[in-house]
Formats: sequence, C-alpha cells, structure tokens
Amino acid sequence: MPHDVTMPQLGMAQDAGKIVSWLKKPGDAVSRGDALFEVETDKATMEVEAQADGFLTGVRAEAGEDVPVGQIIARITDSADEPAGETEPKSDATQGASATAALPKGREVTMPQLGMAQDSGLLVNWQKAPGDQVAEDDVLFEVETDKSTMEVPAGAAGYLAATLAEAGETVPVGSAVAIISADRPDNPVSRSFQVGGDETPSAPAPKKAAEEKPSSPAAVTARASAQPRQDGRILASPKARRLAVERGLDLARLVDAGHPQPYHAADLDRLAALPLPAAASGPAVAAQRLTAELDEEGLTEFVSWARDLQGLADPDAILAGLAGACLPVSGTTVVAIQRLGVQRSYSVPAGPDLSQVVRSDDRPALLLRDLRDSRLRHVEMGAAEVPVVTITAAGCGLSITLECSSAQLDADDAINLLTEFAGRLEQPLRHLL
Amino acid sequence: MREITLSQAVNEALAEEMRRDPTTFIIGEDVAEAGTPFKVLSGLVEEFGTDRVIDTPIAEPGFMGIAVGAAMTGARPIVDLMFGDFIFLIMDQLCNQAAKTHYMSGGKLNVPLVLRTNLGATRRSAAQHSQSLQALVAHIPGLKVAMPSSAYEAKGLMKTAIRDNNPVVIFEDKLMYQDKAPVPEQEYLIPFGQANIKREGRDITLIATSSMVQVAEKAAEILANEGIEAEVIDPRTIVPLDEQTLLDSVRKTSRAIVIDEGHQSYGVTAEIASRLNEKAFYHLDAPVLRMGAMDVPVPFSPALEDLTVPTPEAVAANARKLCAGEMIHAA
Repeated sequence: MPHDVTMPQLGMAQDAGKIVSWLKKPGDAVSRGDALFEVETDKATMEVEAQADGFLTGVRAEAGEDVPVGQIIARITDSADEPAGETEPKSDATQGASATAALPKGREVTMPQLGMAQDSGLLVNWQKAPGDQVAEDDVLFEVETDKSTMEVPAGAAGYLAATLAEAGETVPVGSAVAIISADRPDNPVSRSFQVGGDETPSAPAPKKAAEEKPSSPAAVTARASAQPRQDGRILASPKARRLAVERGLDLARLVDAGHPQPYHAADLDRLAALPLPAAASGPAVAAQRLTAELDEEGLTEFVSWARDLQGLADPDAILAGLAGACLPVSGTTVVAIQRLGVQRSYSVPAGPDLSQVVRSDDRPALLLRDLRDSRLRHVEMGAAEVPVVTITAAGCGLSITLECSSAQLDADDAINLLTEFAGRLEQPLRHLL
Repeated sequence: MREITLSQAVNEALAEEMRRDPTTFIIGEDVAEAGTPFKVLSGLVEEFGTDRVIDTPIAEPGFMGIAVGAAMTGARPIVDLMFGDFIFLIMDQLCNQAAKTHYMSGGKLNVPLVLRTNLGATRRSAAQHSQSLQALVAHIPGLKVAMPSSAYEAKGLMKTAIRDNNPVVIFEDKLMYQDKAPVPEQEYLIPFGQANIKREGRDITLIATSSMVQVAEKAAEILANEGIEAEVIDPRTIVPLDEQTLLDSVRKTSRAIVIDEGHQSYGVTAEIASRLNEKAFYHLDAPVLRMGAMDVPVPFSPALEDLTVPTPEAVAANARKLCAGEMIHAA
C-alpha cells in the first residue's frame, strides 16, 4: 500500500509550509520515523518524519516551494521503481508550485454580480461540502453584498469537486469560487481564495463556462439580511415593547422610517423624535379598489372609426384621451398607457378633441394598464405611486378596475373617474358630447 | 484589615465553630495529619485530636453514611469530600437520606451536616477531578448550596453552614485556596440567600458564582474602559437564591449574563436566566445569556482545558454585543 506524504499543519493558523530541504532522495529506502524533509513555517523549522516503511517516490515538490497544508508532496511505496501510472507527471508538480494544487476538471461557479456597482462579494458560508453531490438548483453558498445576502445555486448537476474560497473571504466578481464536476471527484479540493488566488484552471473550456455566468442574478434568490421578517412581525425587545405601550408610541413608525430592526429601549427616543404622521396620511395608505363591469364595449368600433374617418392612427392616444378626460383636473394632464411591459405617456389637454392628445415624457397623473389581451381577469395590486386603472377582458365586455389611495383621489373622485371612464368605453361617443 | 488566604479562612471558620460547639467534628480522607491535599485543615488535628478530626479509608459512601447518621442523632458533622467529582459516590447518602430525612420524619429528625467539597477546572487534573457539579445538588430540594467567591465569603458562609440545622453543601474553588482577601479578625457570619453586589453599574448585570466572580470583575474592568458600566453580583448561595437583588439589578440594567463554571447545559446559569426571564421579562432589552463550561469532559491538555471555561474576554465580548443591541440569535 503506498502511503501519501502530505504537508503537515504545524501551527494553529498555518495554511502552507515551505520545504526547506529534502533529507531523502527519490528512490531512497525509508523507515517509519526517518526525517524526510524540513519545513519552515512562520514560527519554526521542523523535520517531518516518514509515517511508513518503504521507498520515497513520486516527489512532487522541491526545496524552496511553498505547499498548502494537506497537499500530497510525495509517496512512500513498496518498491523504489514506482509504477508509472501511480504518480502525477512532474509537470503537474511545477504547475502547483505557487500553492495551487491541481484542480479537478469541471464547470466553474463564479462569484455573481448581485448589484450594479458591486465588484466583490463576501462568501458567508458553504451550504455544500467538497465531494457532495449537487443538483442544478441546490444552493451552493451564500454571498453577502452591501445590500443583502443571497443564495447562489450550483447551476449544474454533478459533484462539488472544489471549493476555492472559504467562508468569510471576499471574492471579486467573476472569480471562480467552486468547480462542479460531472463525475465523483477522487480528491475534492478545498482551499481558501487567498491561497489559490484568482487562478483558474488552465483549460480554456471551463473558463468559457465561467463567462456564461451560470449564477445569473435571476437565478439568485434574494434574502435580505437582518431585515424584518416577512410575516410583518416587528423584532423588538420586551422592554422596548413595554416602553412603546407606556408612552403610546407605535414601533411600526420606526419600520416605516427605515430604522433597522431589532428595536431596543434606546430606539424609543428615536421613535419619539420622529415627526408625527400628518392627519391625512393616516388613511392615505389605505387602498381603494373599485371595479366596473361592462357587458359590451364600444371602444374597438370607435378606434376603427377614428382611424378611418378622423385620421387618428394611435389607439393608445384615444384611450389616454378618454381616461384623461375623467380625471378631476382642469387643464392638461398626463396619462400613461402600459401594455406588455411597455409604457407610453400622453399629454391630454382639456376638451374632447382627441387629435390634441400627443406623446409626452412628463410624469403621468394616471396609469392605464391594458390587459385585454392577457388571460388575467382579476387584479388586486394595491395603491401605487399614481392611481392605476386596469382593463381586463370579461366575455364580450370589459372589467375596469381602479386602484388608488385616498390621498390620490377621494372617494367621490374615484367613483366619478371610474363611472365616467366605464361609460366612455361602453359608448365612446359620450366623450364627444 | 489583614489579608488571609481562602484556605486559612476556611481553617479559621472550622476551628472557631469546633471550639464553640463540641458536637462538631470533621470526617473524610486525609483530613488529619495530611490536612487534605490542599492543606486546608493543617493544624486542626493538633488542636482537636483524632476523635474530632477523623481520617477514613477511601470509602466515600461509608463515611458520608456515618455522618448522616451522626447528624440525625445530635452531632454536627463536617464531611470533607476531597474532590467535588466524588459527589457521584455519595449521591444516595446526600440526596435520598440527608436531603429528605427532615421531611420524611415529619420534622422529628434534623440533619445538621456540612459537606465541604470543591469545584473548578484549569488545575490540569483531568476530567474526573475538575468538574463543577453544584447544579446536581442544587436540583435536590432539602439541600442548601453555598459558593464562596473569596476568603471573606468562605469563612462567613462556612460558619453559617455549620450552625444551620439542615444539610448544606459548600463548593470551594480549588484554584482559589491560596488567593488572599481582607478578612476581619472579629467574628462574623454571612447569612444565606443574600447576594453581594461586588460592583455597581447601569448597563448590564453580570451574575457570577464562585470562581466566575473574578472573571466577571475582570470583564467589568475591560468594559469600563469602553464606557460600559457592568454591575457584578455574587449570589453567594444558589440555594437559597437572593432573587430580589438579581431582579432589582436587571430591572435597572435591562441586560444580564449569568456565569457559572458548571457545564452550560441544564446548569445553574440556566436556572437563574430562566427566573430573570419569568420575573423581569418586560424589563429585558436583550436576551439573558448563559456562560458556563463547555459541554465536554474537562480536557487534560492545558491548552484545551483553558478553552472550556469562560474568560473575562469572552464575557466582555458578549456584554459588548448585548449592549450594542446586536442580535444574538438571528430569527
């Protein structure tokens, strides 16, 4: 049985050792306990003894080299003439000279770019160990950026053949962090990014794979770090809660103000110092949702008529004109039409003349979401920045939903807007009257 | 005030009480000529003779049983158990007999017995001579448990223990026998169930027993340099426990760490932390932390052994986190 000679760990925090000199030559007979080579760490120089009887073969590191702890640097075999297949070619040894162990082949997983201006990510922890079998969607590791912590999936099924960074290390975006191999690795590699550096396997194929960014941001599941829990509970100490009750303060206002949780007694003073919400803004957050149902719609016919006889070629301008006229404003207003993810804004002047409705870049006062061509039948999105009217198909007719906050439109205006607009879609000629 | 070692303080307490009450006697292994391996009892056999300072064979259940019987019949035995670890050998005599006799005899019998033993790791004594087993006996109703943190406490608590009409277990820290502290020449007793506020502070309460009081005080020094004022409280007896002093302090500081050299799980720290949680919940601004010995057999390797017990630095680090409002256990 050949016996591997590895670089020993000689200090608590030592990750590599320098071979000062070999005390035995390749092919020499060695006995258990014989000094094989000298190692220098940052603290001391030590002799490393043979752990078995046999012949020193397959020496892969030369005097003067720095070798990572645990790396195989030679073998002790039963005969001096070691079978050729049993040892790595010498070229491998020189390649590994700069503390880079030969890496297993496979697909690289790189540090993903998770933010616009992010150039590196902190590897929080590994969710898989070297040698583990992984599925494509399995979370490999967690990355912390300045904003949040994300889970990065393997991106390919196989085995985690190498981890090239350790938890706690900061790794530049695009650098290889792991290697996924198709076959079960014989010797999974685990090393720190600092030791391995940004070197990637010399084979060009995996390099290309790396550039494909197997962990695209879309595949990344975001998980905000230290953010409030999704169930709406506020994290606060018992004392902070008691003081809040005693002083009649609402911890939710700290959440609204963006103050990070959990809350402690000291945060109560900050809470007390927050400006009191304006009387009107209390109900402002409450969303209003109104729906009108039309058995028949006259819009399609009206759009054809306007195009053929009035020369109004843009049906969205007509829609914007009809909606804008229902807003409780005098003078020009801006309505945005959103369809299939594309949004276009139109300036709508006062008066019924639809030919005066033109494209605009101004901020809209109303958003009209046209979902007639989708399969959606019911929307309930809550209030947005501006009132939103959503049109969905309903049999031969339409369903029209208005969602807004009471700060944007009071109840009367909301009812009026939807009634007027529904009436115009049922019979657009009303607009002209 | 003169300063004497904890060892001398215990010796004085025993001598004074043995002079005062002829029914008292000491029984245990190597207590007479040898004066125990820690030399705590040196000189006592010369004054009181081998009838009152009784050397026994290596037979803990035997001499513990003799002491319980003697206590039931009117004597006041002081049992010397060489290492706290040997308490496992006398569990029946202590917990089934001594602790329950007064109750089961309808109050007709008392067991006025003191069990002197020790606790504490980092003396390179390995896993069977380094345990701190106070939680084991504190769990049994009918036993009082005293944990002196200095020579002053060791003397005052010992005298109170000897005069108590019920069984008392005293754990001395075996590393502290040579530590000196001011001890008055005139007689004094320290009543049970009365905690000692060793240092006042407003930011966090460090509740520490026996050997850990020094650790807490050193942690408080470290924290003081950073502007964190830690209050250090020594309960002195864990049964009975001076709950009121602990609660008053925690209501003031809103934060607490409980430190005891017993293993962290199911220990003294857990009991005290739980009471603070139950009775001062709405005053807590941070979770109450426990700090005890690691849940492993105490290693013989000095380097490893030192890692198993709380250090001032570790206590200070935890205190810092609590005071900064850091989440200790993320949801």
